[in-house]
Amino acid sequence: MAVDPMKTLGQDTPRVDAYERVTGRATYNRDIKLPGMLYARVLRSTVPHAMVRRIDTSKAEALPGVRAVMTHETHKIPYGSGSISGGRQYSDPHKDITTRLRYTFNEHVRYVGEPVAAVAAVNRHIAEEALQLIEIEYDELPFVMDVEEAVAAGAPEIWEGGNIAHDSENRQQPIGGQTGDLQAGFSEADQIFEERFTTAFIQDAQLEPRSSLAHWEGDKLILHTPTQGVSNCRHDTARDLGLEDHQVQVVCKYMGGGFGDKNGNYYFDLIAAAFARDLGVPVMVELSRKDDWLGTHGRWHTVQDYRVGVKDDGTVTAIEVNGKSGMGPYLRRSGNVSGMDVYACENTSKAILPVHTNRMVSGNFRAPAYPQGYFAISSMMDDVAYKMGVDPVQFALKNMVRPTETKQFTNYALDQCIAMGAEQFDWQRRWNPNPGSAEGPIKRGAGMSFMMFNARLGASSAIVRAASGGRYTVYVGVTDIGPGAKTTMSMLAAETLDVPLSSVDIVWGDSDRCPYSVGESGSRCTTMTGFAVVEAARDLKRQIDERGLPTGDDVLIASATPAPSTNGKLREGFGAHFAEVEVDTQLGDVRVTKYLTVHESGRILNPLPALDQIRGAVIQGIGQALKEDVLYDTNTGHPLMTGYYFARHLTHLDVPEIENTFIETDDGYGPYGAKTVGESGIIIAPATIANAVYNAIGVRMKDLPITRDKILEAVA
Amino acid sequence: MKTFTNRNPESVGHAVSIARDAIGGGRSVVFAGGGTDLLQLVKERIPNRPGSGAPDVIINLKGIAEMNGVSRRNDGGLAIGGLTSLSAVSANTDVSARYNAVAEAAVSVATLQMRNVGTIAGNVCQRPWCWYYRNGFDCFKAGGNQCYSVSGENQLHAIFGGGPSFIVHPSDVAPALVAFDAIFRVAGSNGERRLSADEFFVLPRDDARHENVLADDEVLVSIELPAASGNVRSGFRKLMDRATWTHAVGSAAVALDMDGDTCRSASIVLGGVAPIPWRVEAAEQMLAGQTITAELAEAVGRAAVEGAQPLAKNRYKVPMTQRLVERTVLAVAG
Repeated sequence: MAVDPMKTLGQDTPRVDAYERVTGRATYNRDIKLPGMLYARVLRSTVPHAMVRRIDTSKAEALPGVRAVMTHETHKIPYGSGSISGGRQYSDPHKDITTRLRYTFNEHVRYVGEPVAAVAAVNRHIAEEALQLIEIEYDELPFVMDVEEAVAAGAPEIWEGGNIAHDSENRQQPIGGQTGDLQAGFSEADQIFEERFTTAFIQDAQLEPRSSLAHWEGDKLILHTPTQGVSNCRHDTARDLGLEDHQVQVVCKYMGGGFGDKNGNYYFDLIAAAFARDLGVPVMVELSRKDDWLGTHGRWHTVQDYRVGVKDDGTVTAIEVNGKSGMGPYLRRSGNVSGMDVYACENTSKAILPVHTNRMVSGNFRAPAYPQGYFAISSMMDDVAYKMGVDPVQFALKNMVRPTETKQFTNYALDQCIAMGAEQFDWQRRWNPNPGSAEGPIKRGAGMSFMMFNARLGASSAIVRAASGGRYTVYVGVTDIGPGAKTTMSMLAAETLDVPLSSVDIVWGDSDRCPYSVGESGSRCTTMTGFAVVEAARDLKRQIDERGLPTGDDVLIASATPAPSTNGKLREGFGAHFAEVEVDTQLGDVRVTKYLTVHESGRILNPLPALDQIRGAVIQGIGQALKEDVLYDTNTGHPLMTGYYFARHLTHLDVPEIENTFIETDDGYGPYGAKTVGESGIIIAPATIANAVYNAIGVRMKDLPITRDKILEAVA
Repeated sequence: MKTFTNRNPESVGHAVSIARDAIGGGRSVVFAGGGTDLLQLVKERIPNRPGSGAPDVIINLKGIAEMNGVSRRNDGGLAIGGLTSLSAVSANTDVSARYNAVAEAAVSVATLQMRNVGTIAGNVCQRPWCWYYRNGFDCFKAGGNQCYSVSGENQLHAIFGGGPSFIVHPSDVAPALVAFDAIFRVAGSNGERRLSADEFFVLPRDDARHENVLADDEVLVSIELPAASGNVRSGFRKLMDRATWTHAVGSAAVALDMDGDTCRSASIVLGGVAPIPWRVEAAEQMLAGQTITAELAEAVGRAAVEGAQPLAKNRYKVPMTQRLVERTVLAVAG
């Protein structure tokens, strides 16, 4: 059902904090100065796998201005408490049973860039200078960089018991499972296709290099840190330091991008906290740009072997994927790959092994399991479509998931996204039925892909307050990593209270002042915390209707912690992307000449940033498709593509105009029918580009990124 | 960042004497033009001068007026002061009128902000952008004794003139300057030298640690371009792994001295594929006295990559370079 714009929702609304941000008044973490504060820097391992035999910090300690040095010998602080961290929604129980405890500093170092010491000093320059004076001797161990080699017999053991990561019950088994009857599905098939796809590790590469500022008031820790979730960061930090949640206050007012890697705490939060406790003064740990590359997380790289059975009429009867995800030496996040459920085929098997290597640690990056998963399955299905002689759009419409008796959706718009996209893009004219057949060295091609992404509902809290003079205040635990959550939350309150947006103030980014929020991860901030804002605002409106607006110093307060459900129905956002590329088969350049998307993301609460979210995500997806990588020197175990220069992030000049249409609906769930936007745009961008490249050159590119060398080798 | 002393000389002689005295006192020295790249190296503690660590003294040349600007020479050529910004080089009408490839190369460098600050001498003398050197490996270029790319990741490395180091020369303007037979005017403690490209740039087989012959106390003061006839057409084409702000995966500077439809003589110099600006004489000679056709340009491209010796992961650069030369010759011939 189509929607009409409301009074506030659905209207293009500039961010409520736009002025502070663009005039430099917004206080980012490194802008904070506290009296007497010290600055700290982290020393990192220069070897991929070793035991620290000896670490001598005496010269660093003797440097004038140095206040303290920390190593694994002085501080044994669990980080992530040995398991996947990231707050209550992750696996707290596992933290009690894990046998793979990770510490802030580990005597057993497992990757180049792993923290081995930290120095606190009166300024950042002395701290950095002191790092050079720390002497370390390593007993080096054999290392392994490749996921296949890591699980082969005789591979160096990064952890006792082998390099397959533990699940929440300490078992080493693949992620996935079976649906239907795989063997029956393959038996039914007229043809079976097999292909291997690989995707590279890439860094989130957000603009703001990380930092953490800690100070203590008695036995309470106050932590200023760029996090996507103040609630989750508080819980993680309390857990790691052996504190109660109420003993930790996490504050994050502004941040320079998160992209998924900042929900939860980080080891440098713990270093700052420990230094501040030991020294009795505030301490800010700062990461340099290079630190930020080595010592944080990126998208896990994958190897995915697909096997697909198809009937002669083009119906897919069986889908099997076996894969491995490279997690680095510590398990920070799942390692899953997604995408299979966008197909209707009921006979499926998925088995993905999360594998430890001596590379930098993998974590969440915008739709963590999706772009690499969709690249593989969408490339696979695109390939099958061509081999069956079917137009990929027709193949999609035939094989995509549809509502059934047992698979019900709160609403369904996948067919509409594909059809509208194909028409707007002029697919029939742009698509070349004979890939690679265009005349001349510069070949054009068109590709498409389609997706769905869970628009989850779930528990979150909000408080809304009315004061005299018609001022309203919303208290939400959001931190606004880019999508404009502060603005969205304010708009939801204004709409529900039926008051102008300008009468609504927001209190955010502070775990002491704001109730629990899932934080900005999983594109759930609007659907979960936003829903709580609506519920609280409705309650407040009832109170005002009954008792009138408060006068004088009186206030009215409403809070809500709803935990809505979809009653067993799937709630998904849908999308289809179409791209046209030009591939220069002599020089190897790929130019994206057109990019068009159609998304169904429920009601669009604020169209202005929603469009920016789709565009920003597509840009990252094109980067993942064509450019980005963190290549390692496998002889030494050192990363080579650190920083924006080497990792080849796209510049403005690389980015085409990205056209998007939102199909707006209200499925009756979520805040006014809003679904997810933030991650949706990246999911099928790599697949769409890869399929377009195939259409242009007639050679299937199975390994991301699709760089010049691979293209020229392929067409040679 | 290591603590260093900053000096601001007002003349070339002063700069050189500061360098001589500091080196004599056992302190390491670097000269700073725009400093856009130098300061990155200093921050990361990557040796700018091989084997010398982060510098003790940075000699900031920006106050030396005599090194800034483009001037006409009596012989009809131009002198480009080493401190002239890349933006100023590309905007100079004397440069673009007669030495178009130089102007095009200058405007292809990095980003506008960096071209406004970065200097032509700095661009010619910048250290390699090999990912081993830039990530702190103790390779030849840092003063060590090996090239890690040989058995490692060599996708972006040399297909000509490599060994024992396989870096590619990072300058965009250098191939264009060499195409016009530029002279590199150098000043140091032992006086002044005027060097041809052959004398200025060094192959790793002669000196694996340096890309040119500059001694620690020597400055590239200016670059002289000999007179070029009004019949010379030139252009520069650079292949990059994104649209801007990166070095050449391969580049070609082509200058054609035309007599009507006939090419009297040609210069073709490649960047990004060899440890120095790489002149392809056999290809140049094929153009002399010829009318430039698509077929000839294709043959010239093939000749340009004759003798290429790719490594395990950069074979793609051979056909790429061949086509780059072919297309640049055709584009310049018009």
